[in-house]
Amino acid sequence: MSGTGHTVKSYEEEMQSLNDNLVMMGSLTESQMADAMSAVIKVDKESVDKIVKSDGKINELRSIIDNQITTVLVKRAPMAVDLRITISTMKISHDLERIGDLAKSVAKKVKPLPVDLPDELTASLRRLGDLVQKQLKDVLDAYLNKSKEKAIEIWRKDEQVDDLTNLAMNEVATYLQKDKKNLEMATHLLFVTKNIERAGDHITNIAESLYYLIEGEYLEGARPKGKPVESE
Amino acid sequence: MQGRRINSTRWNEINEKKVDVVTLREKVGMVFQKPNPFPKSIYENIAYGPTIHGVAENKDKMDEIVENSLKKAALWEEVKDRLNEPGTSLSGGQQQRLCIARALSVSPEVILMDEPCSALDPIATAKIEELIDDLKKSYTIVIVTHSMAQAVRVSQKTGFFHLGKIIEVDSTEKIFKNPDKKMTQDYITGRFG
Repeated sequence: MSGTGHTVKSYEEEMQSLNDNLVMMGSLTESQMADAMSAVIKVDKESVDKIVKSDGKINELRSIIDNQITTVLVKRAPMAVDLRITISTMKISHDLERIGDLAKSVAKKVKPLPVDLPDELTASLRRLGDLVQKQLKDVLDAYLNKSKEKAIEIWRKDEQVDDLTNLAMNEVATYLQKDKKNLEMATHLLFVTKNIERAGDHITNIAESLYYLIEGEYLEGARPKGKPVESE
Repeated sequence: MQGRRINSTRWNEINEKKVDVVTLREKVGMVFQKPNPFPKSIYENIAYGPTIHGVAENKDKMDEIVENSLKKAALWEEVKDRLNEPGTSLSGGQQQRLCIARALSVSPEVILMDEPCSALDPIATAKIEELIDDLKKSYTIVIVTHSMAQAVRVSQKTGFFHLGKIIEVDSTEKIFKNPDKKMTQDYITGRFG
């Protein structure tokens, strides 16, 4: 037994296709998140429709992956590492799809924003967006390299996402206190911030699924948490 | 494998061949791939073992053993009115349960089942597996199977043998979700090289 690949070639091809689709989905989600953040920071209203539309491709891939997984489960009754890959792929694809949805929601909030968004409002938001994008890139790289060390690192780093979220929310709240006329804009920005933070949580889920795929065990211990937002 | 704990000292004696083979056979019931009832009546199939081992003192005691064994093998209700018919007149699944009842009749400690469902349809297989679930409370069952799905379903511990050697023994959950040995993983995931 060489262990290089499945003796049944079509099984090998099915698992490879599953992997390829997940990688493709990851890549699209990464672009989606980057485009959404860029749209917010630049208040680029023209890019919004394109971002909303491209979410459809991510959803389509998730649907394809779901079908592929059902087929693999019923046809192959995967065991051991194949079982873990199948289960993890299903969970990761659902998390990626949700990240895509959240990026779309972020983009949609750009349209009602004023074009001259003050820098003091977006400083922490920009940092939060950069961090979450970095986390997404890192978790996708970790998946490709099957790195459990990176998975743990990403999992732990979610605490920083929470802290930056709190900072960004406080910035918006402070701005709102200056003038109640800022209410509508501030509300949109709070949603943007919360959506990015939620995307961070899904990235943490992916890190957990990846760890399970590699180790066959779940990451132990409670998730690292940042300080709670004052208004919560 | 679950059920009554076997006294390890006694089993060491068996390993060292200090135990009489007839005594050993009395403690180990066997069920094989193909149902192999004796060309005798259903009743006699069960009564044969206890007769050889001189377990039953009289006819009443033998009737009781036959009934209890068939009940434990979940076959009593289906055959109680035709105990004098040949064992071979039963369906494949019923014949296999008859063989299990025959194994139970001498009160073994261990039941060895060698591919007990490979010649059976899914319904008969389900009945045997249901029976295994029930019997494991009272007996240690060792099952040999090439069906990994069956191994996952019925066992608590799994040993993987390859070319006559034990490769890995662990909890069934561990073996099929995350085995330690690469050879085990390759085999159960279908990488035969």
